[in-house]
Amino acid sequence: MRLAIGQYTATSAVGAGLAAMRAAISNGQSGLRRNDLEHCDLDTWIGRVEGVEAVELPEHVAHLHSRNNQLAWLGLQQDGMLDSIAAIKAQVGPDRIGIVMGTSTSSIGRTEEAYRQLLPSDAMPPEYCQPQVHNLHSPGIFVQAVTGISGPSLTISTACSSSAKVFASAARWINHGLVDAVVVGGVDSLCLSILYGFNSLELVSADLCRPFDRRRDGINIGESCGYALLAREDLLDDADFLLLGYGESADAYHMSHPHPEGKGALLAMTQALHRAEVNAKDVDYINLHGTASQANDRIEAHALGQLFSANTLASSTKGWTGHTLGAAGILEAIITLEAMRHGEVPGTLNCDEPEADFAFQVTRENVQKPIRYAMTNSFGFGGNNATLAFGAAHD
Amino acid sequence: MTEVDIAGVGIWSEKFGSWDEFQAVLAGAEVESAGALKPELIPARERRRAPAAVKMAVEVMDQACRMAGIDATDAATVFGSGMGDMQITDYICRTLADAPRMVSPTKFHNSVHNASTGYWSIATGSHFPANAISAYSNTVAASLLEGAVQAAEEELPVLVALEELAAPQPFKSVIDVDEPLAMALLLTPKGQAAAPLAGISLAVRPAEAGNPAALHVAGTEFRNNFAAPLLPLLAALARGEAATTALPLSGSSMLALALEFPAAARTAQA
Repeated sequence: MRLAIGQYTATSAVGAGLAAMRAAISNGQSGLRRNDLEHCDLDTWIGRVEGVEAVELPEHVAHLHSRNNQLAWLGLQQDGMLDSIAAIKAQVGPDRIGIVMGTSTSSIGRTEEAYRQLLPSDAMPPEYCQPQVHNLHSPGIFVQAVTGISGPSLTISTACSSSAKVFASAARWINHGLVDAVVVGGVDSLCLSILYGFNSLELVSADLCRPFDRRRDGINIGESCGYALLAREDLLDDADFLLLGYGESADAYHMSHPHPEGKGALLAMTQALHRAEVNAKDVDYINLHGTASQANDRIEAHALGQLFSANTLASSTKGWTGHTLGAAGILEAIITLEAMRHGEVPGTLNCDEPEADFAFQVTRENVQKPIRYAMTNSFGFGGNNATLAFGAAHD
Repeated sequence: MTEVDIAGVGIWSEKFGSWDEFQAVLAGAEVESAGALKPELIPARERRRAPAAVKMAVEVMDQACRMAGIDATDAATVFGSGMGDMQITDYICRTLADAPRMVSPTKFHNSVHNASTGYWSIATGSHFPANAISAYSNTVAASLLEGAVQAAEEELPVLVALEELAAPQPFKSVIDVDEPLAMALLLTPKGQAAAPLAGISLAVRPAEAGNPAALHVAGTEFRNNFAAPLLPLLAALARGEAATTALPLSGSSMLALALEFPAAARTAQA
């Protein structure tokens, strides 16, 4: 399987666009901050994107106002993404392009606001009566409205694997001939549901998250947004990177605890390698799910140890961005592509005392190395797993 | 164009709790109310914790697999709901407005849109890919298309479940759904199932003005329920009649669906 990856972009706590991300990763500069989200008194750190509240939506989509769509719009304006979308529209026509977005909570932050101000009749106040916002497809509706793409459009919501799975659906659509290109994306914004929800499960750390460190005690929640253009290889002959494979699996174990042997994670990784026709020993870098929860990191390391040799580079970048949930899949796919572009593998921020008895040891410091094949893991509640495999388009 | 077979079907509402009851209602018979929803697949202890949205989905998915005689562990799943679990969203948003630290951890993990496919995979032991999607008012067309493309491309049975719940009061400000409805279709690659109910072809077309007529059944048309646009096609399937329809897919496209009964196929008498 080979699909061309055209323009891509990501916005997270380390900044808007690729240049900010690259600088933060190179300098080891985290985007996490002490929790300062309005209406939230939890003692934790968050990955907040500066200035989302001030983003103004274009007038014709003003009715789609929500923090999530503000973040979606901020992200879409970076790195020439809109120009690339316009170019592919001109090339194949807007009806031959699809949209597959990923999100875990969509615009629920806006619904939370409405519920804080319910009228005595239990109705939402008039300014909150936004049918196209209070639903899971709000990101897809927004991207369709601002890009003018008119092909099939849907939003995947499988918790923290959502925007990894967008690549799998897009690949099927293109391989099937349903469309010629797909704009894939992911967006999740900070909201109380997620902060207090993860807090109720005792999964939120009061400190900076420490993926794969023996002192790790939970996640930091972040927000982010990313997009990539996927197309038939002949349509983007200047593409530098290819989507070579994907793997999707279910743990069939528990709603919020990963399979103890990492069965689903292993299945997703082996399927991705199989589709990519790449041997595990040839994978140069893996961007891990690495949330810094006790269970995830132990089980992910266990699964990695069964497939990869000790000299495979692998890291969690959640110390830079926090766990951005439904947007983490594409954010980390883009971090992986940027590692390939610049030949610089990110380390694992805050992993100062690595868990010594883990079956696999992660890369702690940034490493300069040319990368030909790379993968990224995303695992979500409901035991929902996805792995993506990428390759350089040219030797 | 994408062509797949329908190997099994399931349906649940408060007016008909199974495919047999749906057929009976279509024929003008009265059936007892479906009453309490108790999907046998979920162990009793888990069932008490499972939200209604999950129980509806698992019930219809199980019905479809049993009708097809296909092992549920061998099918990928695509769960589609335009609004997701509005009852849990209502609970969480009310709790957050009132006493945010009181959010229930069980309700929180049940709030993910893929809760139904999560419970399904746990109950069946299936490790196959599980998807959960929304396309708002276009969710029926988008879910069928996603499932059919996956079945055809990956040569897998794909279980497509569609459902919408009744809206809690605050949500009635944006979508006034009165009655819950769930249905499932087990799609198999063309020619793979030994005795499919019917074949179905799917093709993307430019949008036309107007929507297909709603189906009035059991005294309701499931007003505003985003799963309901599939009912006329299911009625044709139940009657063993070839049928075509076109459902909105995106702002300017429709999904044309054609239900075909090959001479050898049995009719959908479950």
